[in-house]
Amino acid sequence: MTHQPTSKQFKANARAALSNEMVQTAMGKVGGGFVGKRAAARAEVPEFDALRDAARDVKNHTLANLDLYLERYEAQVQASGGHVHWAETAEDARDIILGIVAEAARSEDGKAIVNKGKSMVSEEVALNPALEEAGHKVVETDLGEYIIQLRGEIPSHIIAPAVHVTKEQVEREFREAHPQFDADRTFPDAASLVREARTVLREKYFEADVGITGANMLIAETGQSVIVTNEGNGDLTQSLGRVHVVIASLEKVVPTLDDAATVMRVLARSATGQPVTVYTTFSRGPKRAEDPDGPEEYHVVLLDNGRTNMLSGEFQDMLRCIRCGACMNHCPVYQSVGGHAYGWVYPGPMGAVLTPSLIGVEEGGQLPNASTFCGRCEAVCPMRIPLPRMMRSWREREFEKHLTPSATRYGLGLWAYFAKRPSLYQFATRWAVWKMKLFAGRKNRMSWLPFAGGWTAHRDFPAPEGKTFQQIWAERKR
Amino acid sequence: MSARDRILAAASSKLGDAKSRKAAVDARLGAGRQPSLKPEIALTDGAERVERFIAQAEAVQATVSRHAAVSELPAALSDQLRNRNLPQAVRAGSEPDFAGLDWGGVEVSHGKGRVDEPATLSRAFCAAAETGTLALTSGPENPVTLTFLGETHFVVLKASEIEAGYEGVWDRFRKSGRDPRTLNLVTGPSRTADIEQKLELGAHGPVALHIFLVND
Repeated sequence: MTHQPTSKQFKANARAALSNEMVQTAMGKVGGGFVGKRAAARAEVPEFDALRDAARDVKNHTLANLDLYLERYEAQVQASGGHVHWAETAEDARDIILGIVAEAARSEDGKAIVNKGKSMVSEEVALNPALEEAGHKVVETDLGEYIIQLRGEIPSHIIAPAVHVTKEQVEREFREAHPQFDADRTFPDAASLVREARTVLREKYFEADVGITGANMLIAETGQSVIVTNEGNGDLTQSLGRVHVVIASLEKVVPTLDDAATVMRVLARSATGQPVTVYTTFSRGPKRAEDPDGPEEYHVVLLDNGRTNMLSGEFQDMLRCIRCGACMNHCPVYQSVGGHAYGWVYPGPMGAVLTPSLIGVEEGGQLPNASTFCGRCEAVCPMRIPLPRMMRSWREREFEKHLTPSATRYGLGLWAYFAKRPSLYQFATRWAVWKMKLFAGRKNRMSWLPFAGGWTAHRDFPAPEGKTFQQIWAERKR
Repeated sequence: MSARDRILAAASSKLGDAKSRKAAVDARLGAGRQPSLKPEIALTDGAERVERFIAQAEAVQATVSRHAAVSELPAALSDQLRNRNLPQAVRAGSEPDFAGLDWGGVEVSHGKGRVDEPATLSRAFCAAAETGTLALTSGPENPVTLTFLGETHFVVLKASEIEAGYEGVWDRFRKSGRDPRTLNLVTGPSRTADIEQKLELGAHGPVALHIFLVND
């Protein structure tokens, strides 16, 4: 899988994922893990829903004043000796970072070693291929990201990037990628794989010219960038490289440390079910003159890439997203097909809304259809983002732009014709129900139905009892 | 027009007149800071606060030992190293609280973290009982790399430095006048669940985190 979107082929991707044994095995192991852990973490904080309201309000206020908070944030970063770069597009962000990296390279050929902490925005701008094309060596240091980098893939989950990979597959990758170790070594458990990755990556932190991280938040009050992690790789990446580059999208800014506390209280509980992650690191500027460690340069690349267009519109709510992944953890569609079927960087319900906003409804318009509208995503979202409402908005736009398949359009047109004429609708449904009961015969089941082969190929269709819902309703009312 | 100006202009055009919004933003960033909603777990006090800190830290696989005074640290550290089968050596910064201590048989080296650090020692800035979280600030006293490169990370914290919630940490931070490159919140030893969702300790950072909690 590459960074080239294949979201248009969601249906084909989903079908392939459903029949892919490896994907199904891995997704089966994820199962209810995240769901149960979130529920337990939530139960420990009786005020959790009030905290969600507070977090929503923080973000709404910030987005309504995004320009002003960004200006303040920028001034604070500059006051600390850091640099802020503004990128309107993914290409701009790549060019800016390529410039910083080329400048930072210490070897004579101008090629740099670049370590990376986990960053979804760097995936969004397809940073790794650009760096590699320029001849730089890129090392992903988050264990999950390291695994998928070895496999040449992109993340299938925003916080558990290698969730689709089994332990056996990881073992195979490690044997191939780490020839320095004894070929006969065994990997009895996941711990042995973690240890090997730790040993390999530990050396690499010290070799890096540049460390690139994302940011979970940017704090206007202090000019700090914040990373929220469990492994510690992000911190080693940003402390041991000579230059620290933060890549973050505009909407990550929050006003104050107190506002950051509100976000912290809902983020990890919603994501992994932890009260808080192991490391929450607030970084401001380069190392101080007297510091023995830390980077000599600090750069922040602020990415727009379509986000200012979402302000004040029907998709502004999506900019509240803090990338916890709760929506995909609770989504029956995501749980069945996995993240790669969505065909681009952001999967699950949040991806279904964000993808068409960022790369256009022509490319991403299929994704909002990947929902049963069961509403669990909105029910668990710590930022109370109305994901189903926004998916419906995208479906309407897709329909308006005539991107919907013709069979769907004709079907909807036919249904609308009847729906707008109640007496005709009642007559037609009564006739259909009567006909179906007759057709089903004494066993009350149908093994074949016109236009419903997808259903009857796998199971019988139970016959109606002889009356429509509206008929029964009317009789009850009397 | 620069990219910066175009982005800010695009945002402003959607959000409306900036002048009318500026006062509210300035207030929120200054004295009119919006107080955050503190849940019950962030409101503990006294002995209950210390108990919560210990319980929360232990719930995420940190270990805690309690001591009557800083002078007990050398013996306590030596015991910890022995019990963990570690050499009697530790890496630390130039923390003034450690300066007057006689470390006895424990060899204390000073400076930033190296590739292989079996044990490192830091002095916490303060802590939050809410989630059993330590707050450390980087600098020569406590090089940031010691927090992440030690196989076993030892941290010294005074009981009086435990705040109820994160807000207490921020207040202390603002009042201290410290301006470190990093403020590190640390809750338990490093971990990952990236292979089949199985939790493993010691991903890239410390495999173990021990807190010396000193009464004062």
